[in-house]
Amino acid sequence: MSGLHELSTSEIAAGVKGKKFSALEVFDDCLNRTLACDGSLDALITTVVEDGRRAAEAIDGRVARGEPLGPLAGVPTVLKDNMCTYKVRTTAGSRILGGWEPPYSATVWTLLSEAGATLLGKSNMDEFAMGNTTGTSAFGPTRNPWDTSRVPGGSSGGSAAAVAAAYVPFALGSDTGGSIRQPASYCGIYGLKPTYGLVSRYGLIAYGSSLDQIGPFARSMADIALVMSVIARHDPRDSTSVPGKSFDFTVRKGSDALRGKRVALVREFQDFTLDKPIADAMKRVAKICEDAGAEITEVSLPTVGRYAVACYYAIAASEAHTNLARYDGVRYGAEADEHAGTLREAFEDVRSKGFGVEVKSRIIAGTCLTEPVRSEEYYVAATRVRTLIAEEFHRAFESADCILQPVTPSMPERIGEVDDDATKGYEADLYTLPVNMAGLPGLTFFTGYAESGLPVGLQLVGHRWSDATLVDMGAALEEIIGSPRVPAVVKGAA
Amino acid sequence: MHHKEKLEFTPVIGIEIHIQLKTRSKIFCSCAADYTNDEPNTHICPVCMGLPGSLPALNGEVIRQAMRAGLTLHCRILPTTFFFRKSYYYPDLPKGFQITQSDLPIAADGWLEIHDDAGRPKRVRVNRLHLEEDVGKLRHVTADGRIEGASSSFVDYNRSGLPLAEIVSEPDISSAREAVEYVTTLRRRVLHAGASDVDLEKGMMRFDANVSLKCSDGRWGNRVEVKNMNSFRALERAIEYEVKRQGSILAEGGEVMRETRHWNDARGVTTGLRVKEFYRKFIVEPDLPPLVITKEQVDEALASLPEMPEEKLVRYVGFGLSEGDAAVLIEEPAVARYFEACVTAGANPLRAGNWVRTEVLRVVNDAKVSADMIAVSPEALASLLAKVEDGGLSTTLAKSVFDALLDGLSFEDALKRSGASDGAVDVHALAASVVAANPDVVAEIRSGKDTKGKKVKFLVGLMMRESKGSVKVDEATAALEKVLA
Repeated sequence: MSGLHELSTSEIAAGVKGKKFSALEVFDDCLNRTLACDGSLDALITTVVEDGRRAAEAIDGRVARGEPLGPLAGVPTVLKDNMCTYKVRTTAGSRILGGWEPPYSATVWTLLSEAGATLLGKSNMDEFAMGNTTGTSAFGPTRNPWDTSRVPGGSSGGSAAAVAAAYVPFALGSDTGGSIRQPASYCGIYGLKPTYGLVSRYGLIAYGSSLDQIGPFARSMADIALVMSVIARHDPRDSTSVPGKSFDFTVRKGSDALRGKRVALVREFQDFTLDKPIADAMKRVAKICEDAGAEITEVSLPTVGRYAVACYYAIAASEAHTNLARYDGVRYGAEADEHAGTLREAFEDVRSKGFGVEVKSRIIAGTCLTEPVRSEEYYVAATRVRTLIAEEFHRAFESADCILQPVTPSMPERIGEVDDDATKGYEADLYTLPVNMAGLPGLTFFTGYAESGLPVGLQLVGHRWSDATLVDMGAALEEIIGSPRVPAVVKGAA
Repeated sequence: MHHKEKLEFTPVIGIEIHIQLKTRSKIFCSCAADYTNDEPNTHICPVCMGLPGSLPALNGEVIRQAMRAGLTLHCRILPTTFFFRKSYYYPDLPKGFQITQSDLPIAADGWLEIHDDAGRPKRVRVNRLHLEEDVGKLRHVTADGRIEGASSSFVDYNRSGLPLAEIVSEPDISSAREAVEYVTTLRRRVLHAGASDVDLEKGMMRFDANVSLKCSDGRWGNRVEVKNMNSFRALERAIEYEVKRQGSILAEGGEVMRETRHWNDARGVTTGLRVKEFYRKFIVEPDLPPLVITKEQVDEALASLPEMPEEKLVRYVGFGLSEGDAAVLIEEPAVARYFEACVTAGANPLRAGNWVRTEVLRVVNDAKVSADMIAVSPEALASLLAKVEDGGLSTTLAKSVFDALLDGLSFEDALKRSGASDGAVDVHALAASVVAANPDVVAEIRSGKDTKGKKVKFLVGLMMRESKGSVKVDEATAALEKVLA
């Protein structure tokens, strides 16, 4: 049966349960779509054919025997390749892990598979999630399904492209400074970075531990909600996972979720230049919100505008250089050249060959920023500013229910364009990374297509634990604006 | 520039002790902590192997034991404490950093009382007790333990992630002897509290010492950190060596280099580490939120602490034991428990003390078992001692009964095997005890009223009954006449 790959998560689960089609038919149709497109997109590092089909058959067995089925029964999915999957190669987009097959699964994958999801692939990503184009991957760049000469965003670009191109109805990414929201925007789909502590990080290969958070990509808000209802669970294996939080992620049609809401614009952001399609979308969506009964207000975030980017990189690099210290070739992954004489030479050999340039530069930055003589001035100072940023957001949310803001100032660039000038990439993170600094939820939603045909996304940022409210508002906007289409995926000019 | 007058040096010593806290599982995962005799790398999981994606989850038992250990050192428990990452590269460190505590440890500001070299009581201040995870063990192929030149090295991660408490003293210690008293006092208290098994042979207690000298001419020598002492004797010798080494440098007018030195137990010397020490630095551990400890938790830990060895000693001296004898009994909690159970079962404390110090400790030391595990229960020993006490059994015989009991015999069989019931009974002692127990009858005999010898026969009868018929009548009569004479 063809065309199944364009169905939503809940449509597939319902169809499998109702025996309209089998989980295996769904899996094979998604696999065919993947094989047809991935030569152009390179969204996946690993395609899980045999194990995935076997899992689909197991679901069909349960259907045949009338056994209880989870809410994601027979729904194929893709995980960003920094989430550990038992006996399925996990690379984090790096050479240094070699062909490592984890002996355990990340909590999110355990939850998804228990709910009936089947694994179709592990998606491409910037190496160790460091980047915003998916171009720092050791496996080469992923291409944007709407224009294959352009980047899909990053670091979760592979997951975003796979969902946008309808390999699968939903996928997981991770977001340390925008790595879910920015590719969701560039690929024209929905992407939620949940409140820090809502989704377990156990089994997520760490970049900046205090900033990393796993979240879903989907082509509809209903699917975002459904996936969140499965993965938003307290996990005792993750000490930063917060117990006692349970949310109703059910999305209702005509919910009127925007009525009476105070939707804030950030005063300081209004001085910054935006690409025209994004500036237009901001005006249009503000009007839509107002028409739907929301009040447009203004909040001020002075520290965020001035210091967030610098402090973010100080903290992320400081944590990253310790998180990446374990890759020494002793226990797993790439091994040192046998001619390496001393222990130090062996470490140097493995790490010099195993890490890419972007990763090395952040390790070096982190190492320097945390040296005892500089730590107080940089790392410790950055953590203090972080507290100020969190307080600033806290005050802002006393007079607002959410913030409406861009995801990025510009439309997706051509592949290779930004790589020469790292600082431009850093500035592009201004709208995303303060959200991670404060541990807030951020939702990228689809607003339409620019004249160029490229999709335009915007972002709603909420207070901590307001994830379900954001999802409701995103669903209300989807009802008014309309859902994204699935691109044909044709080779671009490049 | 230096004068001929005799210079005096005062050692200034601080000690860092690592002890392994007694818990069922490791500090951040559920791997079993006891891997004794198990194959290398059989007690490992993604967490203690530091696999990509794994996260630490603090074991509540570790917190409780750390508090208990801290409280035995008179520390205060901090209401909020933090974890840090200490970064350095080494193959036994699976994450490339060690999770430890830095500025805000779980326990701080304690003290222990010891005696100075003149025998006067003195306090050694405990700066803090902080938690950290242990690292794996390296095994090199070369005999001298060097990495370079070894054809291969192996790492056993069974030890990785065991819960350690690092206890840092202030530099209040002035001699090698004081250092040993400090660590033995500390060991005894922690052991009695059950917070650690502090088994030195199993590496559950390791020492580092910071040694410097204050010179009578006003000079201060630089501080030297001496590492790798795994026994009391090694600690004592290392400090003695270092005090002498630094003293002769200062006496020559030289300067002691500030460095870390390694104690070589076989050669009896400290040597400077040729390699510059790995550069270590700290950031906050983002995977562990601050640890908040409530007053209730502290109160519960405090209430769970048993009587401390020093208090036991006072109580035993109250039984009439000498301080020296009592000190032997309180060293190991199992021995103290054995002694107390024996006394509770009715044994004379002095006699019980002697027997536990000699016979019970002999067994404990020879068989290397805990006093809890030996075949003679304290109650059985109490019964045996009662026989000695009432004169029915000589000390020599009692010892052979004790040995028979050790072999697993019942009390009756043990008596039989030792000959206590087949004529080898101490007839003289038996007669004496019967005489002592029947003063009225003895008075009649002595007054000459027992002309028909009925009273003597009565006493002989008692002796027969006491010895369960194993004594011959004429032997008993002879012994009795001797006692009465």
